[in-house]
Amino acid sequence: MKKACSATDPLWYKDAIIYELHVRAFADSNGDGIGDFQGLISKLDYLQDLGVTCLWLLPFFPSPLRDDGYDISDYCAVNPSYGTIDDFKQFLDAAHQRNMQVMIELVINHSSDQHPWFQRARLAPPGSPERNMYVWSDTDKLYEGVRIIFTDTEKSNWTWDPVANQYYWHRFFSHQPDLNFDNPAVMEEVLNAMRFWMDMGVDGLRLDAIPYLVERDGTSCENVPETHVLIKHIRSVMDAEYENRLILAEANMWPADVRPYFGDGDECQMAFHFPLMPRIYMALRQEDRLPITDIMAQTPDIPPTCQWGIFLRNHDELTLEMVTDDERDYMNLAYAADTRMRINVGIRRRLAPLMDNNRRRIELLNSLLLSMPGTPIMYYGDEIGMGDNIYLGDRNGVRTPMQWNSDRNAGFSRADPARLYFPVVMDPTYGYQSINVEAQQSDASSLLQWTRNMLALRKLFQVFGRGTLEFLAPDNRKILAYIRDYQSEDGTHSETVLCAANLSRFAQPVSLDLAKFAGRQPVEMLGYVPFPAVTDQPYPLTLAPYSFLWLELQPIVSNVVEPTEQQMEVPEP
Amino acid sequence: MSTVPAPALSASTHAAPDQAATLICLPTLTGEAFDATLDHLRRAFPLQPIIVATPDPVPTRSSSDESQIRILNYTSSSSPHGAWVPTAADYLNAWTLAREHHPQAVLLLGAEAASVSPDTLRRLVSGVFDQQDLVLPRYPVGPRDALVNSAILYPLTRALFSQHVRFPLPIDAALSPRMAERLATTAQRLTSTNQADAFVWPVAEAAVAGFSVRDVAGDQRTLPLPGAIDLNSLLSNVAGSLFADIEARASFWQRARLATTAPRVPTYATRSTAADANPLDLAPMIDSFRNAYTNLRELWSLVLPPNSLLNLKKLSLTPPETFRMPDALWARTVYDFVLAYRLRTINRTHLLGAMTPLYLAWVASHLRMVDGDATLAEQHIEAVATAFESDKPYLVARWRWPDRFNP
Repeated sequence: MKKACSATDPLWYKDAIIYELHVRAFADSNGDGIGDFQGLISKLDYLQDLGVTCLWLLPFFPSPLRDDGYDISDYCAVNPSYGTIDDFKQFLDAAHQRNMQVMIELVINHSSDQHPWFQRARLAPPGSPERNMYVWSDTDKLYEGVRIIFTDTEKSNWTWDPVANQYYWHRFFSHQPDLNFDNPAVMEEVLNAMRFWMDMGVDGLRLDAIPYLVERDGTSCENVPETHVLIKHIRSVMDAEYENRLILAEANMWPADVRPYFGDGDECQMAFHFPLMPRIYMALRQEDRLPITDIMAQTPDIPPTCQWGIFLRNHDELTLEMVTDDERDYMNLAYAADTRMRINVGIRRRLAPLMDNNRRRIELLNSLLLSMPGTPIMYYGDEIGMGDNIYLGDRNGVRTPMQWNSDRNAGFSRADPARLYFPVVMDPTYGYQSINVEAQQSDASSLLQWTRNMLALRKLFQVFGRGTLEFLAPDNRKILAYIRDYQSEDGTHSETVLCAANLSRFAQPVSLDLAKFAGRQPVEMLGYVPFPAVTDQPYPLTLAPYSFLWLELQPIVSNVVEPTEQQMEVPEP
Repeated sequence: MSTVPAPALSASTHAAPDQAATLICLPTLTGEAFDATLDHLRRAFPLQPIIVATPDPVPTRSSSDESQIRILNYTSSSSPHGAWVPTAADYLNAWTLAREHHPQAVLLLGAEAASVSPDTLRRLVSGVFDQQDLVLPRYPVGPRDALVNSAILYPLTRALFSQHVRFPLPIDAALSPRMAERLATTAQRLTSTNQADAFVWPVAEAAVAGFSVRDVAGDQRTLPLPGAIDLNSLLSNVAGSLFADIEARASFWQRARLATTAPRVPTYATRSTAADANPLDLAPMIDSFRNAYTNLRELWSLVLPPNSLLNLKKLSLTPPETFRMPDALWARTVYDFVLAYRLRTINRTHLLGAMTPLYLAWVASHLRMVDGDATLAEQHIEAVATAFESDKPYLVARWRWPDRFNP
């Protein structure tokens, strides 16, 4: 019998709002300067109130932490700094009680070099099962020409191991040797890890770096066909043993190259849409919708049970791998003038600083995140406009402690400030004294309240998670306008929404061809305000700088009576 | 009313060998009341096979030898003292029995079931045979009766779910099998969290499911009273339950600007008695409101916008002989309390408690206006419901964007 999921709808992930967080960065309950599960549990009410429905936890497993936990040394345990397995179970139950699903990482491309598998492999004779847990070679010329991902730190994908007397293969840091999926024992271990967490009730797995699972000479060692056999196997085991669980693919590729990771609905249910994200930023800066419409035109259809995961920022750099060289140069000039803001092939900054802390721009980008096709994924702290610290190494500048209040350590920890895993942001603009949850909770006009309202609104309409997309093509390219449409499977209702966004810093007029919706009544969705009915003539709108409109196109109802203030008044006594 | 048809319920469907057309679920009754109820059922369905399920031991003298009535005993999981309306446990019991016996209609009778006339019983069940999923009775009430329903439950349900059902928290209900199953699913969620005595809102449930709903005129019936609880607790229980249900179904009732479909002229049966003509002392209710205006004004200001507060201030200064709360003010006040409930602006128990004096102001206003005339009362209740419908966009707008900076 299959083990049940906390979500009863098999397509729950289509309606989800995912919140990405690091246990280490969220809340410290024991005053050691490092966030932990008990701290996270204490903040679940906040997350529920915010309106997110799925928590994505970055790796919380035992690790030397040389790559923010993506260098795992034990797949079936909790890093003692964050708590225990019992703490994790308690967190999981508490999240489920609040109707939130939980997604964790399954980092299967590589482990830490401190993992016992690797330590045994180094000592084991070549060709032995222990040795073959990883990819070894006597030469560093094998798979020559395969690109290096971490260009700032790595010079080769091979590193010599003096104990093994062979080179080992690694697509990321040299302390992260790639597992060898040509060895069936590796898959068995992966499935064991999957079962370990799913038996507890974990609802979803993010498969990290899956294009790189299999290496084949003469190829780019990315997206090779054997990879899909592996993913299909993982999915089939998951479906056979568990109900309604999710696999999210991290494949930083062009949409056409990501499409195979959905298979025929039998691989990953969800995959990140990496190329869309930088183009949203590009469209905003260029005040031109073309980068967005262009990449969406290149986005293939996916199986009906599948979904794109879309995001504005995450724990990594704002990756610019999926843009042209010119576009990359433009993005760097536009958003990372200081070279310290750049890392690898991307920009290590948070959303608010990228927007120069302009509230309207932040809101506009979030409106796109919440209305474009796919499941929105928010990064912790962006709901309050947290800043970053570009003086921290690697991508750690966007991984600083969550800013809860204006007390010591931003309310994140009671520890001596020097003990914190990273310092809190303290600059005058984004510092915790001014940017924190407590202040924004008491400010009815704060970004936090705005975000909360927007999430609640999105959740009222399934069209955003499940509807089709059709771009309109008004002459004014500073306006991005699209129709989202959804017909429920049982035919009981339909939802049609017109989204219009002004990418410009100035007010813009636009005339939209809505003739096929003639007779409909647009109703502005935030305020429930009826707009003039649609006719077969161009529909004129004027949008304020960086503003957006969501209009539900409803059938006209003739006998709705609007109240007047006079009807409320009590006559003077 | 919704229009999705129920499955055909002809005598030939669900051909189980021991199939009865109707399953009747009774509450706990005295022996005499049980016999009286059985007699009414016999007269209501003289030719139809029925199953009567009772939680009480079946009296031997009542084990009818008439072939069309089969009496069976069931173990009730509802409160041993019975509630004044069927609760989650009762709906769950009904479906458990229905699943076992495959009836074409399920009739759930509440307390004082012996006073339900054979004609009413027949009308309820006929509605289900007439392809309705949910058929609820509309019993005649006096101008001073069922005012929580008239002030809050009916207008809210009508405005939000576009269902013109005069008593959305029913004492009795006839259900199609699929309606019974759907209600049981909701009831199951409640009972599994130790809320067996929780109210269930079948009209909203049917509306969300796209099931058809009808209310039918009922003859005079003894209306069960909600026990010895005070008004504060009653209002808190009932309104709190409805507000929570509204919160849970927000994505449904916000989806469209629903048009009203029923006539605006009241057509409901009314009942006036000599007692209704006796003058009422409204002063205590008005005083209660005035005192609350002094004591709860700060709390109300967390819930209500300035325009409503200003109008309440004027109302508090109005002499009793002209005391009248405008329907639009009442509708907006209730909507703002629904919103505050959703937003947890203040502790929910305190919030609902703070609503009681406002409700008393509405009651005083209503009773003064209708002056014991049942027809006038119904006309006013319809006007109140219309005010709720008119102001629904306000609720939707503030629900979506609950900024307190509003008129």
